[in-house]
Amino acid sequence: MNKLVLFLLCAGTLLAQDARKIVEESQKMHRSRSQQYEGVLEVYDTKGGKNEKRWQYARIGAYGESKSVLRFLAPPLVKGVALLVHNHPDRASDQWMWTPELNRDRRIALQDRSTRFFGTDFSFEDLEERDVDQSDYKLLGEETLSGQACYKIEAVAKKSRTTQYSRQVIWVRKDILLPVQFEMYVKAELVKRLEHKRIEKVQNVWSTLEMEMNDLRKKTRTVMKTEKLKYDATLPEEQFTLQALRRGE
Amino acid sequence: MILLRLISWQYTRKHLLRSLLTIAGIVLGVAVFVGMHTANQSVLTAFTQTVDRIAGATQLQISAGEAGFEEEILERVQNVPEVRVAVPVIEAVMNPQTKSQANILILAVDMTGDRSLRDYALEAGDDSFIEDPLVFLAQPDSIMITREFAAENDLQSNSELTLNSMDGPKKFIVRGIMKSSGLTSAFGGNLAIMDVYAAQKIFGRGRRFDRIDLAVQEGLDPAAVQVKLEKVLGAGFQVEPPSSRAKQFESLSSVYGMLANITSLFALFIGMFLIYNSFAIAVTQRRSEIGILRALGATRRQIQILFLAESAVGGLVGAGLGVLLGILIARGIAGSLGQFLGEVYGVAQKAEEVSSDPRLLVGAMVLGLVTSLIAAWIPARNAARVDPVQALQKGRFQLLTAGENRTRRWLAVGLLCFAGLSLAFGHGRLLFYAGYICSIFAAVLLVPTLGLWLARGLRPVLKAIWPVEGTLAADSLIQSPRRTSGAVTALALSVSLIIALGGMTQAAYASIDEWLRVALNPDMYLAPTQNFTDRSFRFPAELAGEVEKIPGVRRMQAVRIVRLPMDGEPVMFVSLDISSVSQEARLPIVSGDGETMYRAAAAGKGVIISDNFALMHNRKRGDILTIATPGGPLELPVLGVVVDFSDQKGSVLLDRSIYVKYWKDTSANVIRIYLQAGVTVAQMRERIAAQTGTRFRYFVFTNEDLRRYILRITDQWFGLTYIQIAVAVLVSILGIVNTLTVSITDRRRELGVLQAVGGLRGQIRGTIWLEAVLIGGIGLILGCGFGAVALYYALETSARDLSGMRLAYGYPFRTVLTLIPIILGSAFLASLAPAEAAVRGSLVEALEYE
Repeated sequence: MNKLVLFLLCAGTLLAQDARKIVEESQKMHRSRSQQYEGVLEVYDTKGGKNEKRWQYARIGAYGESKSVLRFLAPPLVKGVALLVHNHPDRASDQWMWTPELNRDRRIALQDRSTRFFGTDFSFEDLEERDVDQSDYKLLGEETLSGQACYKIEAVAKKSRTTQYSRQVIWVRKDILLPVQFEMYVKAELVKRLEHKRIEKVQNVWSTLEMEMNDLRKKTRTVMKTEKLKYDATLPEEQFTLQALRRGE
Repeated sequence: MILLRLISWQYTRKHLLRSLLTIAGIVLGVAVFVGMHTANQSVLTAFTQTVDRIAGATQLQISAGEAGFEEEILERVQNVPEVRVAVPVIEAVMNPQTKSQANILILAVDMTGDRSLRDYALEAGDDSFIEDPLVFLAQPDSIMITREFAAENDLQSNSELTLNSMDGPKKFIVRGIMKSSGLTSAFGGNLAIMDVYAAQKIFGRGRRFDRIDLAVQEGLDPAAVQVKLEKVLGAGFQVEPPSSRAKQFESLSSVYGMLANITSLFALFIGMFLIYNSFAIAVTQRRSEIGILRALGATRRQIQILFLAESAVGGLVGAGLGVLLGILIARGIAGSLGQFLGEVYGVAQKAEEVSSDPRLLVGAMVLGLVTSLIAAWIPARNAARVDPVQALQKGRFQLLTAGENRTRRWLAVGLLCFAGLSLAFGHGRLLFYAGYICSIFAAVLLVPTLGLWLARGLRPVLKAIWPVEGTLAADSLIQSPRRTSGAVTALALSVSLIIALGGMTQAAYASIDEWLRVALNPDMYLAPTQNFTDRSFRFPAELAGEVEKIPGVRRMQAVRIVRLPMDGEPVMFVSLDISSVSQEARLPIVSGDGETMYRAAAAGKGVIISDNFALMHNRKRGDILTIATPGGPLELPVLGVVVDFSDQKGSVLLDRSIYVKYWKDTSANVIRIYLQAGVTVAQMRERIAAQTGTRFRYFVFTNEDLRRYILRITDQWFGLTYIQIAVAVLVSILGIVNTLTVSITDRRRELGVLQAVGGLRGQIRGTIWLEAVLIGGIGLILGCGFGAVALYYALETSARDLSGMRLAYGYPFRTVLTLIPIILGSAFLASLAPAEAAVRGSLVEALEYE
C-alpha cells in the first residue's frame, strides 16, 4: 500500500515537472529580443454589434521581464492613448496609461487588473506576460484540438501572485510547443476562453496572428488581429519609459 | 374607564372648543418637535443614503479633511497588501445649464478600477460598444448620467451637457446613461460620473484627490485594515467607514437640532400652563360633580386617576394631532433646511422624501402625554382633596380659590437666590443650567403674586378711564388670580422667549455688522462659485499671482478655507497671508497682544483662534493645538483669541505658508483684493478679465455683495428663530382665548346678575374685552421683565453650547415696542368671541348656573 502511495506521489511530481518543462520550453522557443506589430481589436457585443480599434505595439526584453508600449491609432477619439507595461518575473507588472487629451498619465494599480481592458473581453491581467515561475503546473493529459495534438496543462497561480482566476487550463501544440487555447476558471466556473486562431511562422518564430477571447458569462467576444509583425528589431530602451510615453513616442 | 366615559367624556363634549384649545399647546409643541426633527432627520437620511449609494462596496474611505491630498497617497494605499482595491475620488456639487436647473452631484472616479467598488449598470447593457470605456477615459469631456437625470433634461447618449468648470462653461458629452439602481438614486438621481483626472482640471484640484475609496481583501476585518492604514498614513488622514461622513454632516446640523429641541420644548412648556389652567378651572367648576362622586363612594385616588386619565387622553389626542401636523410641515422645513445647510456649510443636500423615525414619533407621543400629565397633576390632586360637604354647598368655590400661597413666594425667592448664586460662583455647565431652570420656576411661581399686584395697581387707572368695565375687569383678575395665572404665565413666558430671541438677534446682527466692517474690508473678492461657502471649486495658485500683478491692485490675499477634523468635529481652518491681513483688517482681540500675536502668526509660529472656537473647544491663549496634517501632527501654540464669525463652530487662522507647507496645497477658495485709490471695482473687473482671458472661471463680488450675502445667510439662520416666535405668540393667544372662555363660563352667574340688574350688553362686552387686554398687558409687563433675565441666559447658552459666540447684552426695546400692539391686539381679538358668548346666553340659565 505504502509503495503505491509513493509511486503515485512520484508520478505526480514527474507529471508536474513535465508540465512545467513544456511551458518553459514553449516560452524559450518563442522568445525574441523585441517584437513590433500593428493590432486590430474587434469587440462584438451580444447583439453582434462591432467596435474596432487599431493600435501599435512594441516590446523589448525577454518573456516575463519585458517592457512594452501599446499606442492606439484609431478611432480618432482614442488616438494617442497609450499603455506602458513593465513586466517583472517575480511580481505583477507596472502599468501606466497616457491620455493625450488630458495631457497626463495615470498608474493602473495592481488591484485593478481584473477589470476589463477598455471595454474588451481581455482584462489587464490577460495582457500581462507571466514568468513560468509564477504558477504551478500539472499535466492533465493530451488532447487533439482543431486536428492538432496538444498537451493539456493546468496552471494555478502561486499564492504570492495576485490573480482573478482560480486556475487556467492551457492547450500547447505538441509539434511547435505554442499555446493555442486557454480556459480561465473562477472557482469551478469556466469564465473565459482564449483561442489562438491563425498561427503562422514569422521570421522563423511561430506566432499567433489572430486570437479570440470569449467572455462566457457576458456572452461577448473580442478578436485581436496582428499585422506587420516583426521580431528582433533594435528598439531603444528609452522608448519604454514614462517620459517617452508622455512625449507620445 | 366607566367614569371616564360617563363623566369626563360628557364634560369634554359640552366644552369641546375649550378642550381643543387646551390641547392646542400640546399639538403645537409636538408638531414643532416632530416637524423640525423629521425635517432634520430627512435631510440627514438623504445625505446618508447618498453616501451609502455612492459608497457601493466601499468599506473604508481615506480623507484629509476638506484639504484633499496629493496623488502619491493613492499609491501608498494601493501598496498595502490588505487593500484589495483603492480608487481616488473627487466629489462636487454643480449647477448645470439644463432644463431642470437642479444641482447635480459629480462623482469623479478612476474608471479603470472603480467598477470593482461601484456598479455602473449602463443603459445599453453593454459598456463595450455603446459606451466605450476607452473613449470615456481618453476624452476629458466624458460624463455618465443617470436615466432619471437624462429623462428630466431630455438628454440621450452623446448629448451635450454644459457644466461650469474652472475654465468657464464647458461642454460635456454624455457617454453613458446608467440604469436605475442604488447608485443612481443617490442625490435624488441627479448624479453624474466623470473621470477623476478630468475632474482635477475642472474643479481646480491640481494633482490632488478629495478622498480614496477602498475595499479590503476578502476575509479581512475592515476595522483591522483601518488601524493599519492609519498607521501607514499618519494622523493627518482620516480612515473611516463611509457611514462616518453622515456623522460629520450630523455634527454640522446639530445646532439646528438643538434649536428644534428648544423651540418644541418651550412650546410644550407653555402648553403645559394652558393645560394646568384648564384643569385647575375644570376642577373648580366640577366641584359639585366631584362632591357627588365622593358622596357616592368614589375614593380620593379614583378622583385623582379620573382627572389624570382625562389629561392623558387629552395629551395623547394632542400629541397624535401634533405628530400629523408635524409630518405635514416637515416637507416644507426639509426643503429650506437642505438649502440652508448648503448655504451655510457648503454641504448641499436635498431631501426627496420625508422620512419619519418611528422612535421619534413614539418619543413625541410620550412627550405630549407626559407634559399633559405633569400639567394636570396638581389640579388632579386638588380634585382628590375636595371635601364632598363643602363641594355640594353653592357659592363656596369663590372663597376657596381666593388668596395666594405665601410658601410659593418663599420658594420662588429661594430658587432665585440659588439661580443668582449659581451665576456668581458656578462655572460648570450643570450648575449653570440648574440655575437657569430655577429662575424659570421662580418666575412661574411668582406670576400669580406679581399678576395680582399688577392688577391691583392697574385697577385705579382702569377705573378712572372706564369706571364700570375697568373696575369689573380688574376685580375679576384680583378676585380669582388662579383662573388667569396659567394664561398670564404662558403669555409671560412667551414674551420672555421673544425678548430673549429678539435680543439675541439684535446682538448677533450688531456683532456681525461690526465684524463685517472690521474683518471683511477688501474692496472686492474673486470666488470660483456664486456660493461663498461652496468649496467644490478652487483657484489655482497662478491666478492669485496674476491678479497681484494687475495695475491698480494695492493688495491681494489668497485665502484657503478648509474644514479639518479636530476633537472629533470638523473645524474651519482659514489660511491666508497674516502679515498682509494684519495691515488691513485686524479682528477685535479677546485675548493676546495684537502686535505680537499677528507678527508671530505671520512668521508661522502659531495660530490665532476665534473666541467661539476657544469657548467650544475649551482652548485659550498659550495652549498648544495639535493639528493633524498629511505630513504628520503639527503642534502650534495659540497666540491669541479674536472675534471671528467665519463659522458657527469656530475658526482657526493660520498663515498660508504653514498651510502650503504641511498640506502641500497651493489652491485658494477666495481672493481678496484691495484697490489703489481712484480705481473702481468695475475698472478692476475689466482689467482682470483682460489679464486672465477665459482661462479661469471666477465670480466678482464687491464688498457690498459679500456683506449682503452674509446678512442673507444670517437672516436664514434667524429665520428659524422666527418659527419659535410665531409658536410662542400663537400658544399665548390660545391661552388667552382659553382663559376667557373659561372665565366667562365660570362667571356666567355673575354676568347674568349684572345683566339682570341693568347692566348693558355693551358694558359686559367691554368688561370682557378689558379683562383680555388686562391679561395681555400683565403678561406683557411680566414677560418683558422675565425677558431681561431670559436674554442673559440665552446669550450664555449660545456662547456655551450653541455657537460659542460671545454677544454683547442689549435689551431689545424695539422688540418690546413691536410686541405691545401685537399682544394687546391679539388679546383683544381673542376676547371677541368669548365676549359675544357672554352676552348672547340665556339670562335664566346664567342665573341658574353653578
